[in-house]
Amino acid sequence: MTGRGGWLRGYAVLYLLFLYAPIILLPIFAFNDSTIIAFPLSDFTTKWFTEIPNTPALVRSVQTSLIVAVTTAVLSTLLGICAARAGARYSFPFKTPVMGFIMLPLVLPEIIVAVSMLVVLMALDLPLGSWTVVLGHTLICTPFCIAILNSAFGNLDVSLEEAAFDLGESRWSTFRLITLPLVMPGIISALLISFTISLDEFIIAFFLTGTEPTLPVYLWGQLRFPQKIPVVMALGTILVALSVVLLTIAEIARRRGIARAGGKDTGGFL
Amino acid sequence: MTTTPPIVSLRDVHKYYGTYHALRGIDLDIGAGEFFSLLGPSGCGKTTLLRTIAGFEDLSSGTLLLSGQDMAGVPANRRPTNMVFQSYAIFPHLSVAENVAFGLRRRSDLNRQAKAALVEDALDMVGLDGFGARAAHALSGGQRQRVALARALILKPKVLLLDEPLSALDKKLREQMQNELRRLQRHVGITFVLVTHDQEEALIMSDRIAVMFEGEIAQLADPQTLYRRPTSRQVADFIGVMNFLPASLTAGSTAASVEIAGLGRAAITPEQCPAGMPTGDCTIGIRPETMSILFDGEPAPARETSGQVHELAYYGDMTYYDIALDGVEKPVTLSMKNLVGRRVLERGETARISWDERALIAFAK
Repeated sequence: MTGRGGWLRGYAVLYLLFLYAPIILLPIFAFNDSTIIAFPLSDFTTKWFTEIPNTPALVRSVQTSLIVAVTTAVLSTLLGICAARAGARYSFPFKTPVMGFIMLPLVLPEIIVAVSMLVVLMALDLPLGSWTVVLGHTLICTPFCIAILNSAFGNLDVSLEEAAFDLGESRWSTFRLITLPLVMPGIISALLISFTISLDEFIIAFFLTGTEPTLPVYLWGQLRFPQKIPVVMALGTILVALSVVLLTIAEIARRRGIARAGGKDTGGFL
Repeated sequence: MTTTPPIVSLRDVHKYYGTYHALRGIDLDIGAGEFFSLLGPSGCGKTTLLRTIAGFEDLSSGTLLLSGQDMAGVPANRRPTNMVFQSYAIFPHLSVAENVAFGLRRRSDLNRQAKAALVEDALDMVGLDGFGARAAHALSGGQRQRVALARALILKPKVLLLDEPLSALDKKLREQMQNELRRLQRHVGITFVLVTHDQEEALIMSDRIAVMFEGEIAQLADPQTLYRRPTSRQVADFIGVMNFLPASLTAGSTAASVEIAGLGRAAITPEQCPAGMPTGDCTIGIRPETMSILFDGEPAPARETSGQVHELAYYGDMTYYDIALDGVEKPVTLSMKNLVGRRVLERGETARISWDERALIAFAK
């Protein structure tokens, strides 16, 4: 573990520091009793946290974000279920290009998605609002859901569904009794990940939001007022904690699903 | 079998996948209580045929009757058939008892106790009594297979369809399950239709066997007829081991006569020779166990020839010899039991071979 390994270890430590140092600074300054974001730290305080509910615009933006994120999660997971099931069970003309095409938003720059959606919405003379943000977020979240659900549906032995049907169940009750319970961990995982992506997405929300900004858009606007920054830090701390919890639940659900179906772990995001 | 009406009846059944012709005119009757096997190499259409009977595949043309009723448009969940899948398809999120009871869900005429009793009986029947509470994913291969059997048989189907149910088991367990399946079939009296690519398995278990090649039934017969009187060289080659020798057929007034390379002239009866076979060049088939090596001046019981030991394989109970005969390109295989005091020949040794013309079968060239 020394010698050549020592260099690699040093590199790994620096790399992790580079990744996580900014996030570690977030809670540090959230509990710091000073509006100036700089060392040395002054006294410990929780007043920035208590100030969050006293900022109505902030609370409203959190509500907007939650509504957008939940709607996005449900929509993109539903679309993901349909696509993943179709991909796993049926063969149809141009299947490979079609499946590739719906995964494309995964690698498309968000700024491109945002600008082109804005152009289309303007051309159609449609008003911007939370629903346009949902539309944009569903577009970028669906490929993630498909990626997660593909493995859930792909691991499912076709003959399980055939066996249930052969034993007298209908197509729908087979789906409900066999398919759904076995892919449920994948569905939960897809819901949580799309929720998380939508909650902190900025570019698309910034372009497509109407009069009610989502949380990231609101925060960006607040950065012009230095005295607000500690409150933003406090909220950021809460969001980081929430994201970690949600992603952990998603990963546990995914692993449990694989174990339950007796399969082998071959991927996942964590 | 001819007196009772058939349980499964197929008439001129064709199945196309796009342009691929998977089933090419299948005519088949399977009787009540029969253990019937569909045997053939992979891709011969045997699984397609089984799935057609189950209702997982539509017919492209032809008719399928199950106990006299036309199954056109009847989906798998309304057919009096149940299937044991190759992967067993045990529901991994349910317990053993829940798996076995799955098909009883729709039976509103049974109360909870009656269902539990049926599950208990079914598990008992396959030798899994007391396993009900186990998690399905914690079972071994053999146990999964038994659960799959219990789950299908609890519904008392008219026909039980088995898709290569033993292929995932190791050799010892497979042999044990072959016997158990046979015993179980006699016990429940339900018609079993088994798909297998293992000719030995088909011979051991079946009342009748349909050998399939390329979407067609090449021969349908009981195991002994299939082994002793294959009607084509392809069937003969697929079932067991058979030596093929070039020969020439001449028709006589009562019996035909063949001149066989390496063996000489022999008379064959009409039943050893397909009807209407043209005279001239043909192929003669002879099984390894119908020939034997003569030791130490032992007189030949029937006909005799000689050759050199080209290669041998010692199996413990048996020895398989490849013997090079004069005028035959490919050595013939014969098998000898390793009886007490009988020595095993060595490579290059000259051997006297005894053979019997009753064992010959003629095939068109």
